[in-house]
Amino acid sequence: MAASIDPIHQFELKPLVSLGHIGHQEIAFTQSALYMFAAVGVIALITIVGTASRSVVPGRMQSLAEVFYEFIADTLHQATGDKEQRFLPLVFSLFMFVLILNMFGMIPYAFAVTSHLIITFGLAFLVISTVVIYGVMKHGSHFLGLFIPSGVPKPLLLIMVPIEIVSFISRPISLSVRLFANILAGHIALKIFAFFVAQLLLAGAWSVLSPLPLFLTIALTALEFLVAALQAYVFATLTAVYLADALHPGH
Amino acid sequence: MSGNDPKDEGQGDRAAPTDSELSARLRRLETQIDRKRPPAAPDLSPRPGSSDRSSLGQAMTLSTEFIAGVIAGGILGWLCDHFLGTKPWGMIVFVLLGFVTGVYNIMRLSGFSGAKDRPKDRKGP
Repeated sequence: MAASIDPIHQFELKPLVSLGHIGHQEIAFTQSALYMFAAVGVIALITIVGTASRSVVPGRMQSLAEVFYEFIADTLHQATGDKEQRFLPLVFSLFMFVLILNMFGMIPYAFAVTSHLIITFGLAFLVISTVVIYGVMKHGSHFLGLFIPSGVPKPLLLIMVPIEIVSFISRPISLSVRLFANILAGHIALKIFAFFVAQLLLAGAWSVLSPLPLFLTIALTALEFLVAALQAYVFATLTAVYLADALHPGH
Repeated sequence: MSGNDPKDEGQGDRAAPTDSELSARLRRLETQIDRKRPPAAPDLSPRPGSSDRSSLGQAMTLSTEFIAGVIAGGILGWLCDHFLGTKPWGMIVFVLLGFVTGVYNIMRLSGFSGAKDRPKDRKGP
């Protein structure tokens, strides 16, 4: 009866509408895409409704929008020291997108979009492409100064420069793997512990123990909410830090 | 106050120190303390700006940072082997380099990279 436990099952993509084929690969509108559209809708709702009245004493929606805006503006300013805040739209969108998707994932029976590596890697790749393209546009070949650490003796540069290059390449990987792994692992752990409750209830005398995993599941849920918010924050912070390199590549 | 110079004791009259004398003395003491402080403090303290982040986030950051270094090395090595036909060597060299990078990333993030390249620390989160 309860034998059909599959903690991975929740991450399966379910095509909703088929849009045709490219080669043998079906291109479908999946529930993942639906959740992303829903997230964009929620973000648009928060920001548009929040900025609609523009009163001096903010209402509920307006203070919510202002809290998010000021939080990201502060983070970005601390990391880049950029007065013009020209990356604010990018970082704000990324933060809100990841945050809302993570929070959607915490709704029971909902699908966690950020538990798919390709989504997070897509976002991370966007960040790194922005860094590279903007850095080269703004600084030209000076952008390569990013790979030359300052205050290092000349012979050591022979080792340090390859390390810096690999380190730069590892950035989108660490950025995407961190978010994806946290969300994936958290949801699997939640599912497994929640399943323990059901199994213990069916195990005769052992059902006395079933509150234990229940409490653990509750605690894990709280932890997962923390992780969901924290990972969105970490993603935004790291984006800001990497963008700082595009603005000031020389050290 | 052990940081006082002997000449300070002679200068400030214990019986009737005026306000200006006291404030001058205080200022001198502050500069002396400041002069003494730098070698001891910054080595132990974490990177500036990291104190407000939760340690949980930092722990997650460190582990993935290391793994990402190794993976990046592996990818570079595979690409090198695949396109340049240097079958085992690209992988060997770049994975080793990836390990070094992973350790280097962690050292930089946790603030162990030495005080020389302070501005570089800004690269970490």
